[in-house]
Amino acid sequence: MCWLLEVNMRQTTSPNLLKHRLWLIVPAALMVGIFFLYPLGFSLYSAITLDDGGFTLSHLNKAFDLYSKDILFTIIIVLVSVAILAVLSITIAALITLSPFRSLTKTLGFLYRLPLFIPFIVTAQMMRTFLAKNGLMNNAFVASGLLTPMDTVSFLGWSGIIITFVWKQLAFSTLLISGAMAALDESQIRAARNLGASRLSILFQIILPQITSTLGVAMVLSIVTMMSVLSVPLMIGTGSPTMMTADMAFRINSYGDYHVANALGLVSYCICAGLAWFYLRQNLKEKGAN
Amino acid sequence: MAHLHIQNLQAGYGKKLILDKINLTVEQGEMIALLGPSGCGKTTLLNALCGFVPVSGGEIFAGSRSVSQLPAEKRNITMVFQSYALWPHMTVAQNIGYGLKVQKAKRAEINRRVSELLSIVKLEGLEDEKVTALSGGQRQRVALARALAIRPDVLVLDEPLSNLDAKVRLSVRHEIKALQKQLGFTSLIVTHDQEEALVMADRIAVLNQGKIEQIGTPEEIYHHPSTPFVADFMGAENHIKWPTHDDAFRLNTSNPAAELDLYFRSENAVLATPQAASKDDLNAGLIIHGHVEQSVFFGNNYQISVRCGKHTIQADHDQNLSENTPVTLSVPNNALHAFDKEGKLVAHQKNHAVSVKSMRMNHVC
Ligand SMILES: Nc1ncnc2c1ncn2[C@@H]1O[C@H](COP(=O)(O)OP(=O)(O)OP(=O)(O)O)[C@@H](O)[C@H]1O
Ligand SMILES: [Mg+2]
Repeated sequence: MCWLLEVNMRQTTSPNLLKHRLWLIVPAALMVGIFFLYPLGFSLYSAITLDDGGFTLSHLNKAFDLYSKDILFTIIIVLVSVAILAVLSITIAALITLSPFRSLTKTLGFLYRLPLFIPFIVTAQMMRTFLAKNGLMNNAFVASGLLTPMDTVSFLGWSGIIITFVWKQLAFSTLLISGAMAALDESQIRAARNLGASRLSILFQIILPQITSTLGVAMVLSIVTMMSVLSVPLMIGTGSPTMMTADMAFRINSYGDYHVANALGLVSYCICAGLAWFYLRQNLKEKGAN
Repeated sequence: MAHLHIQNLQAGYGKKLILDKINLTVEQGEMIALLGPSGCGKTTLLNALCGFVPVSGGEIFAGSRSVSQLPAEKRNITMVFQSYALWPHMTVAQNIGYGLKVQKAKRAEINRRVSELLSIVKLEGLEDEKVTALSGGQRQRVALARALAIRPDVLVLDEPLSNLDAKVRLSVRHEIKALQKQLGFTSLIVTHDQEEALVMADRIAVLNQGKIEQIGTPEEIYHHPSTPFVADFMGAENHIKWPTHDDAFRLNTSNPAAELDLYFRSENAVLATPQAASKDDLNAGLIIHGHVEQSVFFGNNYQISVRCGKHTIQADHDQNLSENTPVTLSVPNNALHAFDKEGKLVAHQKNHAVSVKSMRMNHVC
């Protein structure tokens, strides 16, 4: 009897309580809804509807017709950048963690963080003056007698975009990766050393297998950032082929064509989602194996 | 396995010198316990042996090889870490076989050695288990097997038992000791538990503030501490500065004017109540009259705090005594550790021969 009563009471009180709790999260939910979900939903909606609201794939078709080369270019640029990024940031983080030269690693540990505090557009501007045919880098080569002015090449274009992306994102991903390496128990590394392991085998057999998930997070986040930068392809790219962000800006600024711009947005969203899915699946597989 | 010879070793962190002029020889197949209070440099000594802390002076020999300037991976001295330091992404077998894999041993050879070690440390059947799925005692044994797999010249263990609960610790302690006897590895084990050191080690080195105070067999260290620090650290916590200028104390000595520091254990202070008054024992070196201040039950006996003048002396007794009972304590000569002002052991009539012998042993080491 007694517990029946209690259950009854709970049934009468809990919806009230629930209501109170719901009210508490309303402001946050509203913010997310108005400033994030609504614009996102609207842009997806606009990518697949006509002005009168009817469903259509014509915007997507048009986007692919006009810009499939740029989509491919974007994917290749991003993948190459992220591969270089992974190699460099692992190398730097490993040097910081494993190098026996303490003062060198301290300087390195300070230097690599600098790009964190420089915005993309400033980076792009900097790289522009640095990488151009008569830019700082080539001038330095010429002044040092390594090259004649005739031999200099401009790095503006796809290679410049990659260099800029890597330069800017290196700080962020190295920060994450060296953080994960530093969080490993120092004695795990010592144990490997006194069994005779070289620093290189320690890196590949002891450290990296334990930080793959951090590496994945750093890379996925970097990809999303690179996919969304406009200033770099505009300032460093040569125009054609270019990255999808530049195309979107062009559609909007020159034609006021929001539909195709949104269709391109949908494509880049799908690319990111695909990569994220791939990463999550890898991660789950590993967890399952554990 | 080879013997380990440490000569005038100096090491520290940056400019801070932690170890000063350490001299120690671990014979082949011997286990020496490094015993000392927290912060005295035990871990630092092991790290210096393994090459994790740079050696700033002196030499380390493993067998006939001088290893003090070699990098850690070339020393062939392996460590069992306090935190086990197993690699969580590898199985038990992979952890144990890693050292051999690094040496590019053949797969069959690795498998053979791993299963041999698994049976030695009694973990058969667990080779494919992830190390994260093991209990503390099992992890400890994996760590031990991993360190032994490459047949190191010297094995060092840094408080290997301190993360285990009391019961497991007792059994693992015996297992390590038995293994050490069976396989005959040369080893240095760090502990701050004196009982652990007494039980496990062939010899004990007591470390204090980066210096070795005394080296000797467990019996020598226990019965004949050569410095006040060792006496105190090994449990002779009763301390009296002689002369006390107090009639309640009487010391049987040929030179009553000498200034001495006297140390003795509570278990050696024989307590007598007036009812059971015995005639003054002629063997007694020190006789103290006082009153019971407190009596605490310790299971197999009572620990009685006896107040005499400004001293409080601890003594073991088989009965509970009420407060303020007048009692007489007598400490036999051979249980009394007397040191002069410089901290030098003063030989007593009875234990003269033995203590001279133990001191000579020190010089040899
Ligand atoms: N990485 C370090 N940098 C600077 N000083 C250190 C470092 N590690 C230890 N020390 C100092 O060295 C001294 C000895 O430390 P050590 O770790 O060898 O003590 P220990 O005998 O192992 O103590 P415990 O029983 O607590 O483990 C201590 O005074 C400590 O402050
Ligand atoms: Mg320690």
